Amino acid sequence: MHIPDGFVDAKTAIAASALSVAGLSYTLYHVRRELPLRRVPLLGLGAAFVFAAQMVNFPVIGGTSGHLVGGALIAALLGAPAAVVVITTVLIAQCFLFADGGVTALGANIFNMAIVAPVVGIAVFRGVSRMLSGLRGQVAAVAFAGWCSTVAASLACAGQLAWSGTVGWAVAFPAMTGVHMLIGVGEGAISALVFYAVAKARPELVNDTPALPTRSFVGYGLLVAIGVALLAAPFACPWPDGLEAVAAKLGFEHAAKAPEAAPMADYVMPGVSSAGLATALAGVVGALVAFGLAVFLSRLLVKNETVPTKTNANA
Amino acid sequence: MSGIHFGHNHTPYAPEFRPTAGVRVPLAWLAPEWKLAVMLTLVVGTAIVPLAWWYWHVGAAVLLLAVALVGRIVLKPLLWRVLWLLPFVAGAALAAAWHGPTGPGWPTVAARGCLCLLTVLIFAAVTPFGALPGVLRRIGVPALLVTTMALMHRYLFVLVDESDRMRRARTCRTFAPKRRFNWGMNAEVIGRLFVRASERAERIYLAMCARGWK
Amino acid sequence: MTTPALVVDKLAYRYPDGTVALREVGFQIATGECVGLLGPNGSGKSTLLLHLNGILPDKPGSAGTVSVQGELITTANLEAVRRQVGLMFQDPDDQLFCATVEEDVAFGPSQLGLSKEVVSERVRRALAQVGLTGYERRTPYHLSQGEKRRACLAGVLACEPSILVLDEPTSGLDPRGRREFMALLREVPATKLIATHDLEMVVEMCPRSIILDGGKVVADGSTMELLDNEELMLAHGLERPHSLHHLRIDEPFFWKPPQQPGR
Repeated sequence: MHIPDGFVDAKTAIAASALSVAGLSYTLYHVRRELPLRRVPLLGLGAAFVFAAQMVNFPVIGGTSGHLVGGALIAALLGAPAAVVVITTVLIAQCFLFADGGVTALGANIFNMAIVAPVVGIAVFRGVSRMLSGLRGQVAAVAFAGWCSTVAASLACAGQLAWSGTVGWAVAFPAMTGVHMLIGVGEGAISALVFYAVAKARPELVNDTPALPTRSFVGYGLLVAIGVALLAAPFACPWPDGLEAVAAKLGFEHAAKAPEAAPMADYVMPGVSSAGLATALAGVVGALVAFGLAVFLSRLLVKNETVPTKTNANA
Repeated sequence: MSGIHFGHNHTPYAPEFRPTAGVRVPLAWLAPEWKLAVMLTLVVGTAIVPLAWWYWHVGAAVLLLAVALVGRIVLKPLLWRVLWLLPFVAGAALAAAWHGPTGPGWPTVAARGCLCLLTVLIFAAVTPFGALPGVLRRIGVPALLVTTMALMHRYLFVLVDESDRMRRARTCRTFAPKRRFNWGMNAEVIGRLFVRASERAERIYLAMCARGWK
Repeated sequence: MTTPALVVDKLAYRYPDGTVALREVGFQIATGECVGLLGPNGSGKSTLLLHLNGILPDKPGSAGTVSVQGELITTANLEAVRRQVGLMFQDPDDQLFCATVEEDVAFGPSQLGLSKEVVSERVRRALAQVGLTGYERRTPYHLSQGEKRRACLAGVLACEPSILVLDEPTSGLDPRGRREFMALLREVPATKLIATHDLEMVVEMCPRSIILDGGKVVADGSTMELLDNEELMLAHGLERPHSLHHLRIDEPFFWKPPQQPGR
């Protein structure tokens, strides 16, 4: 889901970059205060691990293959702030060295994959592992968290593409989220398998992720909510049209396009709301199906609870 | 779109990313800061400049060709890499067919995307990665991020080698008749790689402390 | 009587999961000595070495003490201790964590807060000492095992320690790399403590040896006496090195040729 150059326009890139910078600054402030010194090399090695893990291609059907993105997995293993730093580093390296993801779209990509994905992932992971106990619960939690984080990131991505006008609103959301609901199943499955392998080899690694204090969690949640709300704003708010008018005045858009902005909003609105509703409904159904699959996978993997785990007292 | 590669099962193209044993640096007379600055100007410019300004796009393409020739970069793998844009372009084209876009049409987007991609790749090929952390530090990127990036680059290939060895050892004891991809085995290798990576991180911390790291 | 370089007194250590690594370890090393630290795997050698420059335990002085050049290691003087004691780790990849050889060798001196000129002078001198002049811009990933070891040694020597502690310095080296490394070590004038399985090296380089087993010092004395004592060596997971066979020409070798039929 790395957006290339040219697919997001200036205003979206600036807005997303602003959100990413805010999120990163907040994370770095949090990490500098809370992370013990002995875990600092773990960030670098974690980034190398994510990069190396992404190189393994898992064949799906026909000639296609997929790979682990790792936002939820790394958040479950290292904690959300560390995950934000790790995935940001990986994205920056991928952008500047492989052009995997555009330079102008870097802010958007970081917001989607390094902030939305780990935060949603850790929230779902902690929520579900509180509901279901033991290693089985944790494995199911990781699987579902992997699915949710992929879908959430794709939502943000779709919003950015639609806001830039690259893809129409009515198409972006259903298409992106639909495809990523399927991709998310793979992501969840691989995340769960890897998590289980780590838990088998070294159970203590899995249990000593630092718990995120509620205050910080609220901070992250707020940031993610703002970002997603911003992208859904065109549903109701006249502000983006104003921004487009300003952009037109600055001469970056053809003067001819400016009047199209207003009729676009009126025209697409009814189409969008019905597509929006359909997407929302599909999302709920998809989430339920994904949750069921996650629990099923955990039952398959964790045959019996002989693998030792410490109860997550501070989860 | 997310992690779907069509058709082949390979590691991402990395011409100069894997550190080369020799120290030949193309265009060594140009400092890395300048290379980065030129690349950023080209990319950002190409992304926002309207397609009607053809002289910008042509000029950028000519400059890129010149850099590629002087740096003696092999162009064919780069052009293969452009195919990675295909899913996005196809998606945008499909969406345009169904419901007209409001911004620039998909040909514009495709062309810009290609040009920016080639710009980044060509400049990446002439800039050794080792210079990057220093440059980023100088322009004010937080130290933690730069350290993470430097350590990532240093240990990426060490980890890749380790995972190759683990997979090879595992395959020696797999008696499946055909060489089929085994999801469970590969996930297990990745999991054990994480364990080894965290143990190594612990030892690196000790080594850093032993030489007085604060 | 001059102060000994290193004094370890009643040192004990228990891992967080409860396993006891060291039990009441005590010995002294005089300035300029070269001592070999031997013992089977799991005897606590690496753990002991981590105590010598204050990395372990978390609270120095909680279970036994270590004194460096007459000063007890406390949380206050850790920096000074690390300046005096240079520790070289077993896996060179763990120690060479910077992007180039030059950066890595410069790491120690720059952490000491020295000026850029002094740092580059020390780097130049350290690389010359280990024979790696011209390797400044090389990446550690592409060095051979022997070159990596030498780069690690350069990184430690750049801090100019008076005591050198090495953990398995010759493991994984080919014979030439091993000989070169040993020749380098001989030139370094510091006090040396070498933890190793390479018994031939100990015979060649260390007049004195300490044997550690089960977290305790079970023998401490002249290398020749200790290593020639077959019973002692076999009892602690070691063996009599082959080079010592040549010193007792009347002793039969272990291996006897198979009986020829019809003889």
